Amino acid sequence: MTVFKTFWKVVKRYKGTIIGFTLMLVIFGSINMSSNDVTSSFKETKPDIIIVNNDNTILADGLVSYFKENANIIDVKNTERAIDDAIFYRDASYVIYIPDGYEDNILNGGNGNIEIKSSGDYTSNLAEMLLTRYIKAIKVLSKEYSDKTTLLSKVNNALDENSKVELTTKINTTELSRLSRYYNFASYTLIAVILFIICLVLSSFNKETTRKRIVVSSMDYKKHNKYILIASSLYSIFVVILYTILAFIIFGSLTFTERGLLYILNTFIFSFVALCMALFISTLVKNKEAVSGIVNVVALSQAFLCGAFIPVVWLPESVIKIAHVLPAYWYINTNDFLAELEVLSFTNLKPIWINMLILIIFAIIFIILNNIASRKKMVL
Amino acid sequence: MKKIIEVKNLSKSYKNLKAIDDLSFDVYEGEILGLLGPNGSGKSTTINSILNLLEFEKGTIKIFGKIMKPDAYDIKRDIGVIFQEVAVFEELTVYENIDYFCGLYVSDKLLRKSYVEDAINLVGLKEFTKFYPKQLSGGLLRRLNIACGIAHKPKLIFLDEPTVAVDPQSRNNILDGIKKLRDDGATIVYTTHYMEEVEMICDRIIILDKGKILAEGTTDELKSLAKLEEKITLEVKKISSKVVDEIKTFKTVDSVIQNGNNLVITYKKGKDNLGELTSFLHSKKVTYSKIFSERPTLNDVFLELTGKDLRD
Ligand SMILES: Nc1ncnc2c1ncn2[C@@H]1O[C@H](COP(=O)(O)OP(=O)(O)OP(=O)(O)O)[C@@H](O)[C@H]1O
Ligand SMILES: [Mg+2]
Repeated sequence: MTVFKTFWKVVKRYKGTIIGFTLMLVIFGSINMSSNDVTSSFKETKPDIIIVNNDNTILADGLVSYFKENANIIDVKNTERAIDDAIFYRDASYVIYIPDGYEDNILNGGNGNIEIKSSGDYTSNLAEMLLTRYIKAIKVLSKEYSDKTTLLSKVNNALDENSKVELTTKINTTELSRLSRYYNFASYTLIAVILFIICLVLSSFNKETTRKRIVVSSMDYKKHNKYILIASSLYSIFVVILYTILAFIIFGSLTFTERGLLYILNTFIFSFVALCMALFISTLVKNKEAVSGIVNVVALSQAFLCGAFIPVVWLPESVIKIAHVLPAYWYINTNDFLAELEVLSFTNLKPIWINMLILIIFAIIFIILNNIASRKKMVL
Repeated sequence: MKKIIEVKNLSKSYKNLKAIDDLSFDVYEGEILGLLGPNGSGKSTTINSILNLLEFEKGTIKIFGKIMKPDAYDIKRDIGVIFQEVAVFEELTVYENIDYFCGLYVSDKLLRKSYVEDAINLVGLKEFTKFYPKQLSGGLLRRLNIACGIAHKPKLIFLDEPTVAVDPQSRNNILDGIKKLRDDGATIVYTTHYMEEVEMICDRIIILDKGKILAEGTTDELKSLAKLEEKITLEVKKISSKVVDEIKTFKTVDSVIQNGNNLVITYKKGKDNLGELTSFLHSKKVTYSKIFSERPTLNDVFLELTGKDLRD
């Protein structure tokens, strides 16, 4: 208990640092950096489209009714001439041809072989996007639901829910990318706050002189270290919870949507990597000045290389290649992926699970390295 | 007398340097044992080996009659150690530091509180309990270092040069505190290279040099090892060499060294050497501006045994 309490007392002495980094996160992580968000700009207008349904099956009708909801369907004679005229005079900007066999194709895992004609203008982009989303969604969900009506309602639900967040309302689209940026930036402050504070605190416990005192005391040194380990873990969890609460204050309920929870899970795993890294560094380095030097280098270089400050898409190819060896890259990759993903399902979240697995491998590597390093230092 | 520590044939080398060489000695209950030796003589190595902080090649260590082992927590419970280097948390206050180190031994909160307060009173840090180590002077910091090591009321205390670089006030406070701990029943092993301290507080002394015991005993026993018994220093304006030669022929005089206006006369034995000398000088009409007599110091003993000074 004494060890525990003392750990927190020491942490408390660094509250200035913790508050500083957290303020930085609140300020830089929540400002709106994505002014040119494409998806948010053509919300209000519905595209004018023509649908030529050559399949007339349940799924084909489902597609039609989806577009009835989200677009204005223009009635023209079903001749190529009439359709071309409609496009020419801008009565419609987009034509969807549902081929015979659309339903079978979808159910067999295809993408429906839909053909289109586009005026190539502004609203046709939106129609195109709606169609792509729909096909993506139905393709993914058809693997999980074989009953056609269920499938259709699941697709509609998914697109609906998704568009609540990303499509229909303008604010929420930006909100999601802001949330994503917040977590990306958190990769920097999280590393800084966890690495920095844990290394500083542990350097006080581990420095040769205090360590000798603890070793000669009647407390089992292994037990002492176990307390320290638990206290460090609790501290990391505390930081993640703090950041989640801040996210909730800034972004509201979005923080705890299915997507929001995935961000939190990702952050939690990332903080675990930071914890393992901190334990390893504190085994190697006991000197406080050296600790702050190393932590600054690690935290800043990782943040710059992995896209915590600047979106990854703006980074040069070579930098991104290097970034692959840093945990933050995989963390940020998950955040970016979540921000852009249309539909959430276990299968299409596969890249995220892989990223998380990679993070856990990083953690394991640090644990192994730490064991090797500390074994060497057992004897005074 | 009860033996608290028994060290037998202890040897420890660092690579090819023999830091301590076949050391054997006992420490008895209730005494302050001084380990006196110049820098690098192996004092810290001896203490660290006794505590099993170091792996040593040879030897057995018994504390409280039991073999000392790294996991002998029942033995460790009753030991307090103050290392040569100050070992405190910069992030904790004076009180919190003592409380933490005491807490490694004593888990009961109330008991610990009273122990910590006792320790604070012993070293006289009452007005500084809320201070952080950075705000303390060197002497106060040393006192804190000591308080951290003895707060749990150990029966056996090791102090490794606790007064290095300490102002006289703190030094006196520390030495008084150590005597008080002994009077309260603790057994103390005290290392230093200040012979005055050893003379002041130690009941028994072991003189170490190059990892070996040169001599062992009480201050008086050790001093008897020195050939000289008394040293008289005389400051004169003028003295003829004839008078000096005459002094040299005194029965108890060992040597006379003239150094400018100073005359240093060492005596082997004898009582009332000073009286004899002053009346002699009086009869020869030699006037002097200063005269004083000194008993031999442990430094003289060390000089006698090794041919070099304790302090380099
Ligand atoms: N970790 C070490 N590695 C190598 N040599 C060491 C180590 N520690 C001490 N020594 C050497 O062992 C010898 C004894 O050192 P020790 O520290 O025990 O002396 P000491 O009497 O405590 O000296 P001091 O008064 O300076 O504290 C010295 O020659 C020292 O240089
Ligand atoms: Mg020493």
